[in-house]
Amino acid sequence: MSWDQDAASPTAPAPVWRGYVAAVAGVVLVSLAIGVILSWARIANVSMLYLLVVLALGTRFGSGPAVMASLLAFVIFNWYFVGPAHTLTVADPDEWLALLLLLAASVVTGQLTAGQRRRADEAHRREQEAVQLYAVGRWLTSAPTLDAALRQVAEYLGSVLQLQLCAILLADEEGRLQPRAVVGSDTGDGRETPRWLLAAEGVPSTPAGPRRWVRVVPPVRLAAAPDAAAARRFDLPLRAGPRVLGMLRVVAAPARAPFTREETRLLEAAADQIALAVERVRLQAEANAAEVLRRTDELRAALLSSISHDLRTPLASIKAAAGSLRQHDVAWSDAERDAFAATVEAEADRLDRLVGNLLDLSRIEAGVLRPEKEWYPLSALVEDVLGRLGPLAADHPIAVDVPDTLPPVLLDYVEIDQVLSNLLENALKYTPPGTPIRVAAHVEGDMLVVEVADAGPGIPAAALPRVFEKFYRVTSGPGHPRGTGLGLAVARGLVEAHGGHLDVASAPGQGACFRFTLPLGTPPALVPVAEAG
Amino acid sequence: MQARGARVLVVDDEPEILRALRTNLAAHGYDVLSATSGAEAQAAYATRRPDLILLDLGLPDVDGLELVERIRAHAATPIVVLSARGAERDKVRALDLGADDYLTKPFGMDELLARVRVALRHAAHPASGSAPVFRSGDLAVDLERRQVTVGGQEVKLTPTEYALLRAFITHPDKVLTRRMLLQEVWGPEYGTEGHYLHVYVASLRRKLEADPQHPRYLLTDPGVGYRFSTEPA
Repeated sequence: MSWDQDAASPTAPAPVWRGYVAAVAGVVLVSLAIGVILSWARIANVSMLYLLVVLALGTRFGSGPAVMASLLAFVIFNWYFVGPAHTLTVADPDEWLALLLLLAASVVTGQLTAGQRRRADEAHRREQEAVQLYAVGRWLTSAPTLDAALRQVAEYLGSVLQLQLCAILLADEEGRLQPRAVVGSDTGDGRETPRWLLAAEGVPSTPAGPRRWVRVVPPVRLAAAPDAAAARRFDLPLRAGPRVLGMLRVVAAPARAPFTREETRLLEAAADQIALAVERVRLQAEANAAEVLRRTDELRAALLSSISHDLRTPLASIKAAAGSLRQHDVAWSDAERDAFAATVEAEADRLDRLVGNLLDLSRIEAGVLRPEKEWYPLSALVEDVLGRLGPLAADHPIAVDVPDTLPPVLLDYVEIDQVLSNLLENALKYTPPGTPIRVAAHVEGDMLVVEVADAGPGIPAAALPRVFEKFYRVTSGPGHPRGTGLGLAVARGLVEAHGGHLDVASAPGQGACFRFTLPLGTPPALVPVAEAG
Repeated sequence: MQARGARVLVVDDEPEILRALRTNLAAHGYDVLSATSGAEAQAAYATRRPDLILLDLGLPDVDGLELVERIRAHAATPIVVLSARGAERDKVRALDLGADDYLTKPFGMDELLARVRVALRHAAHPASGSAPVFRSGDLAVDLERRQVTVGGQEVKLTPTEYALLRAFITHPDKVLTRRMLLQEVWGPEYGTEGHYLHVYVASLRRKLEADPQHPRYLLTDPGVGYRFSTEPA
């Protein structure tokens, strides 16, 4: 890669010696002009012409040449034009005053204009620097990746500062410097970028002192070639607080002048910006990792609390019942024995449901859920689910409005059965006994809409957006929440795997209505069996 | 109570389950063999010729479905498959491959004993093709005259309903998958039109059952299919 060597540069201040030459030349020229003028007419204060020269010199070359011109003008004017001529003495006190005024005016004018000039230059340089720094900052914040940003900054610095090479090296996990962005023209004789220049190495443990240029010393073995370029190589540590994150390594182009203070400042500022950007990316990554950890921890905590309660409760009942049955010193009646056995069975069923939900959830989350769909009439499914829930639903009147005339739906029986069961169990669990529950279905466009509504206490507005989160449980009223916080999460996952949506509408005191959709299609047709069959 | 000495081969790799099944089956008078792998099961099947096989589909060495296929290839020994939750489809496949019945783990012991009893009885009295009249409870089907009566009252069935009922009573107490019913009644090219079955079963229930909402003959096996129950309600 090569750079545009025509780096935009401001109107550089002319070399100082030229200013003094110009001062002498200007004063001599004006003196000649004054001589000519005076030979024509005696004009008072003709010496003011010198002020023009001083003004010009101050503007162009600064105060030194301007002051020198003032003094020279004073002497020459005195010598040639103030009587007695060819002496530095002055006869007329008026002339003295005029001469001194000339000197004073010249010096002041020179200083003022030179100051003006300096400030203008300074402003220009500052603007330039600001523009360059802005460019660096913009690359660093706008590039899609850190590496892209580093590369763009390196390219930019290389082009602005006429660098032969600009490399940004960052410390890896083991603290070794690894080149992350390397931009530069080949060395003059076409060799590749010297390896030592980019060789990974440890981060120099520079103390957090004032930043300074660090000259790169090539490893002895590889420095065999007489290296005039060594003098043009520099390292700037990239610092974030006391830590060195990496290195900005630059090699000036062979023909370029040494870095000016402004250029040094730009490089240092760029190094600061790069360090900030690197640090920002690192902190962002750490924050992300911390967030993931936090969420994982939260989830684990929720899972543990859920599991410890929901697994342990049935286990405790089972163990108590089994232990009781084994107590041979107690003469249990048949009814008591039966009750213990029934407890073991019922609690085992409860565990089975919990494990089933956990299993479904893990399959949903792992994305391995592949519904095996068949055409089913929804009414049959609803009947089956209600039949299975039977005893659980004994305390709640359940109204069913799922007409047989609804078109059949392509669904995975086991999964949609689970959805309906979870929604119904949810309604049974969170409403007081006697609360009516309604299951209804109808067609809306190309979707079958199924609703499970209860007339219970409803869901608090704050909880509404979270009810489908796993392990989230609405804690209303005293006591431990009764669900596992899995049922609705599983239901939503299963419905979505069918291409439908599950939502809830609820208001406190108004009950809750869960509503899911399933896409309709064209079921295959079947002809009735012929009479002869 | 089951005739003494029926030999049951229990195949499961869970020792606790195996122990519970052995104990219970032995207590009910069965001669129990056990195997913990597909290889052991095949060896036991070859040498001891059990009357019934209780087969867990999740075996460590061999796919349970494959075992069903291999056994069914040369013998009609009744097979009741045990499947874990989450493997619901496997049990339907096992039934399609010729298994006689299924149980989903965890299952109740009395349910298991009932299934074993039914499967053995079914094997002892294969399809009632010889008997011209099938009777169960107050239902009677005269297969020669295509006449169906409930409590002596003749019931008019459409040809489809009759064909379906005949499929059911040919395999009493056996769970029939939707695919099996479709293929038996409509032909081998059918299998995905299960939604119609519900309609025909519902109309059969209306005509045959005293309480169609709580049928005693035509029972639904949710997600699997239907079975014709000869057990008193």
